[in-house]
Amino acid sequence: MVTPAAILKSSPRPGALPRTLLVLGRIALGFIFLYAAYAKLYFGGDWHLADYQFFFAMAIDSYKMLPMWAVEWMARVLPWFELALGALLIIGAGLRWIGSISCALLLVFIGAMTRAKILGLEINCGCFSNNEKLGTATLVRDSSLLLLALAVTVGAFLIKKRGATVSS
Amino acid sequence: MKSPAFNRIGIYLFVVVLATLSSVSVCAQTKRPTNPAAKSAAATAPSTNGKAIGSKNAPITIEVFEDFECPACRNFYETSLQQVINNYVDTGKVYLIHRDFPLEMHPYARQAARFANAAAGLGQFQAVEQALFDTQNQWSQNGNIDEAMAPSFSPAQLKKIHDYESLHINEINASIERDRTMGIQRNVNQTPTIYVTSHGKMEALPGGGVDYKLLQQYLDFLLRQ
Repeated sequence: MVTPAAILKSSPRPGALPRTLLVLGRIALGFIFLYAAYAKLYFGGDWHLADYQFFFAMAIDSYKMLPMWAVEWMARVLPWFELALGALLIIGAGLRWIGSISCALLLVFIGAMTRAKILGLEINCGCFSNNEKLGTATLVRDSSLLLLALAVTVGAFLIKKRGATVSS
Repeated sequence: MKSPAFNRIGIYLFVVVLATLSSVSVCAQTKRPTNPAAKSAAATAPSTNGKAIGSKNAPITIEVFEDFECPACRNFYETSLQQVINNYVDTGKVYLIHRDFPLEMHPYARQAARFANAAAGLGQFQAVEQALFDTQNQWSQNGNIDEAMAPSFSPAQLKKIHDYESLHINEINASIERDRTMGIQRNVNQTPTIYVTSHGKMEALPGGGVDYKLLQQYLDFLLRQ
């Protein structure tokens, strides 16, 4: 005889696919942030833990957007910020907030890149390496990353909301 | 479903990881060991054909791939490079090498490069480089370099440079081509592109020119090593 408990046990868990996609999405995004951090700390065949901030500051400054103190502060902090974001996305801790921060960060990047493109600045992107020129391809790539980050964030909020509805 | 406590832990973890990693970076900067095998950067630099300024024994060598007709190169020269020359090259801390990288999009860039190379052969590279950048707006309109140079050089000096250019045209073209090939091998994709060699290690700076203050910080950091 088939009992209701047995039916529940054998049928797939509702929402399993969105959860799987969310996990895959956040892990992919996490590794991309880890790689972005790695590329700012390791380049030219060597680790640059002691002097990465000089190179990255030059890349940020080429956007002609920020005062020098902000350029220097961002150059020092951003690679570690990306590293921490990447690690937390992979772990999945505080996903709604970490996802939101990732979206905000990518929005800032895309805004800066679009502004530079409109102004016709012939500069390097500073996204993953020192020698990558800013262009349409880099803008499209960062925009697709923003879409992924948005999907992860919205997914995390929806799953949380659904969980709250079910439990109430 | 993850609990709010788990989310809070995530945020705390984020702050702790960020703070730890920033501290590691600061410690690494202050405790970087000096390289015992440090040698003069100029020892590793290929031939310059007179297109260099400063002492070959300087601890730092800067190579700049430039196009005399490129506005970003003029801007970099005027806002950063002149200060580097005054504060680092003239004091024996930096050996500055000009590398020709005339871009196809600039019709008079090669002509200007030939003129500068001829001047380099006569030991007048620094003066001609400055004059070419100072008058770039003028000669880049019609390619009339002589007219633009007239306020800075006498007709006799200009004739001497042109005579040298005619006499050594093959060497000059070869020198420009050598620089260009070197740039292509190093993946130079824009001008100016700057390479800094110190302690036997060469680093490429982000292309398109660098603010003097940031360059100064980096050079001072290298000199402290």
